[in-house]
Amino acid sequence: MGAEALARPLAAVGRTAEAVAEHAGQIAGLLGRSLALLLRGRLSAREVLRQIDVIGVQSLPIVLVTASLAGVVTSQQGGYQFTGSVPLYVLGSVVTSSVVLELGPILTAIVLIGRVGARITAELGTMRVSEQLDALASLGRDPVRALVAPRIVAGVLAVPLLVGLADLTGILAGMWAARHTLGLGPESFLYGARLFWHNWDLFYSLLKGTVFGGLIPLLAAHMGLRTRGGAEGVGRATTAAVVLMTLTVLVVDALFPPLLLN
Amino acid sequence: MIRYDNVYKAFDAPVLLGVTLAVEPGETVAVVGHSGTGKSVLLKTTIGLIAPDFGQVWVGGEPVVGASRRALARIRRRVGYVFQNAALFDSLTVFENVAHGLPEEELRRLPRRELVRRVAEALEHVNLEPRQVLRKLPAELSGGMRKRVGLARAIVGRPQVLLYDEPVTGLDPVNADVVHGLIAQLARDLRATSVLVTHDVEGALPIVDRVALLDRGRIRFVGTPDEWRRSDDPLVRAFQERRLGRALQRAS
Repeated sequence: MGAEALARPLAAVGRTAEAVAEHAGQIAGLLGRSLALLLRGRLSAREVLRQIDVIGVQSLPIVLVTASLAGVVTSQQGGYQFTGSVPLYVLGSVVTSSVVLELGPILTAIVLIGRVGARITAELGTMRVSEQLDALASLGRDPVRALVAPRIVAGVLAVPLLVGLADLTGILAGMWAARHTLGLGPESFLYGARLFWHNWDLFYSLLKGTVFGGLIPLLAAHMGLRTRGGAEGVGRATTAAVVLMTLTVLVVDALFPPLLLN
Repeated sequence: MIRYDNVYKAFDAPVLLGVTLAVEPGETVAVVGHSGTGKSVLLKTTIGLIAPDFGQVWVGGEPVVGASRRALARIRRRVGYVFQNAALFDSLTVFENVAHGLPEEELRRLPRRELVRRVAEALEHVNLEPRQVLRKLPAELSGGMRKRVGLARAIVGRPQVLLYDEPVTGLDPVNADVVHGLIAQLARDLRATSVLVTHDVEGALPIVDRVALLDRGRIRFVGTPDEWRRSDDPLVRAFQERRLGRALQRAS
């Protein structure tokens, strides 16, 4: 009886570990194959550009709106906490650091998970359950080359640029809010921002963008390619992909400070 | 031309339990059997879309199981595959769908005018009027037309082998007869070796050289349409008399 009670949770742990290992192996395989295709120059530049348009250009409005609101909220909350205790120009540093180090990259990633990641999973998942992926393979085409690798490359190229623009927009929006709600002029805001600025912070922010830009299409495509079971399966895969992408991005985001900010 | 040697495949449960079957060059063979018996799985092993757990599949003397990516692409270029629901690329027009049936190098090399001619020729071959369908999306076509566009995509590269997965499923009897007629015509015109997976045994009999009955993961019967009609195998009789349910009960 006791042994059986112990065996059940152990079996559950074993099954989970097996599933995680299977996912990890498939994701590594997909990444390796995409890298090999890129290094051998086997990707269509036209398809990569098309994906840059879908992932980058078409996401720009929502990313900039999100970054503006993040800058405004950070500025106002910082102002509320600092009034009467800390010189207000410090707000320039707080807003700049918050946006560049964290809010710009992570909010851009979260927006892209919903806008781009879910779309990739649903698209590839639908192709899987309707045998379009099999049809592609039967015609001698490599689905990874045609559908996965261009998206990963486009993400790696486009997302850092999106993050850079999100950083800039968030800071400008924070500066605007500081002037109109706290009466802190742009000169004082920028003085505070420069006081604690490190050029490394910008590199750190763009590096996060590069990593998230590769991770989101990679995980989304992996989940799409694994889809089984008709329309319901596509829905299930898309939901699971959003959860997987969100958790992975948050975990990777949490690894950045200990690795790169010491 | 095509040989399945002792092919085993299991998913959650065993599906194929040692299938052995040879299809001679130019021959048309129908693989029949009840639902879930592994007919489509067997067809997909022919071009490596599903890898058997054990056994080997040969296409034109080349092994499929364990083939390199390049060898598999070479084998696939010689094969046209018609999927159950046509599996047309739904974001591409009929023209783009059919053009995808050509090898990539050929697609890049062909002048636009020649490409249009090849696509139109393939569409005409399956009794579709190119001007009426070339610019349409798959969603704008009827089920029968989608099947025929799927056929056109499979034959535009002039394959040596044609594989059909339930080509008449979901079609009314008139359209099913049209598709069966096209299969026979394509086998003649292209001198292709064909494997046809189907539930519609009666419809397929006039156009095939042999029939193979797949039952519980194994080939239970192989013979000409005449031998099929004369067979006293209870399952074959059940197919003939469309009393599959009772026969399965008896067999189990």
